Amino acid sequence: MSAFLAGLLTPLTTPAHALALVAFGLCAGRQRATSWSVGAFFAGLSCGLAAIGLAVRPLFALDVLLGCTLVNGGIAALAWRLPAVLALLLGASTGLALGLDSPPQAISLAAARMTLIGTAAAVISALVLVVLAAGLLRRTGAAIAIRVLGSWCAASAMLVLAVRFSRGLPY
Amino acid sequence: MQLNLPRETARRERDYGARVAAVLTFGLLAWPAAAHTGSASGGFAGGFAHPLFGVDHMVAMVAVGLWGAFLGAPAIWLLPVVFPLVMAAGGALAILGLPLPGVEIGIALSAVVLGMMVALAAHPPLWIAAILVGAFAVFHGHAHGSELPPGADVVAFSIGFVLATGLLHLTGIALGMVARWPAGRFAVRAAGGAIALTGVAFLRGME
Repeated sequence: MSAFLAGLLTPLTTPAHALALVAFGLCAGRQRATSWSVGAFFAGLSCGLAAIGLAVRPLFALDVLLGCTLVNGGIAALAWRLPAVLALLLGASTGLALGLDSPPQAISLAAARMTLIGTAAAVISALVLVVLAAGLLRRTGAAIAIRVLGSWCAASAMLVLAVRFSRGLPY
Repeated sequence: MQLNLPRETARRERDYGARVAAVLTFGLLAWPAAAHTGSASGGFAGGFAHPLFGVDHMVAMVAVGLWGAFLGAPAIWLLPVVFPLVMAAGGALAILGLPLPGVEIGIALSAVVLGMMVALAAHPPLWIAAILVGAFAVFHGHAHGSELPPGADVVAFSIGFVLATGLLHLTGIALGMVARWPAGRFAVRAAGGAIALTGVAFLRGME
């Protein structure tokens, strides 16, 4: 499997990443300035992936990502509209955590770079799809589905965080 | 027999029936997971199948959906939004080792009470219904959290588990939507009675 393809598949086949993308997409689609929120996410993602490329990998990235998923899912469930600053902060945090939790499993630096590029491409594509789907649900009068899915994302994240805390955090 | 309904009314009836069918279809997506028989192992399939292994859990989840359908908007959708969150909080309590006394009794009682609410077509204020459902959700969540298999792929298991629970609610809602028709209303209330009796049977089984 090529490094790029491996990176492309990583966020889609990693349950925690897929969950985070769905939760953030649902939340961002509800905010006043969705594009700014998504832009902040991409900025955070870029920083996270760049840090990974520089061999920086905080061990708490997954827990922060799950925490962001819990918050994003909860906000989507409550159908809240955050102040712009908070929405940007939440987007940037989610993107950064996702990036930092995406270390490439590659042997060479070149392969690692291609993996990270593939990861970024997959994350961007998946997030755009989720945001578009959320917008479609709202326009077709099925906005309640966004709240239900947000609730499910938050509930899943809550359970996982509880398990991770009970088993002792690896740092 | 020709009904001779005005065209607009007939179209609305068809649209309503189509919505019921859609919700039921998505809700019944939960059932194929029962094909994954055996113990609830880790992973998505294990998590998805987990709520389906306990009849007491299942009937209570369906009763939540049925009751929500009876209560109508906003309860019909509020309960499936709130229940998973409160249930997960209960699960977190169990996972973190915090005890909750009388969990099995609470679960059996949930079937009795929620089934009775449906059977009696009870319409309490929304806040009472939410508190009642929320209280029972904690018991269910605590029981599920205690049963989390060790070594499970926790994220995938949790996603599967929450998804199956939500789909059971949708099944209950879809079934409850037939209460729009007189015969359907009777059938739903009868189902509520059956759920309550199931809960009584579980309570007697604990004696």
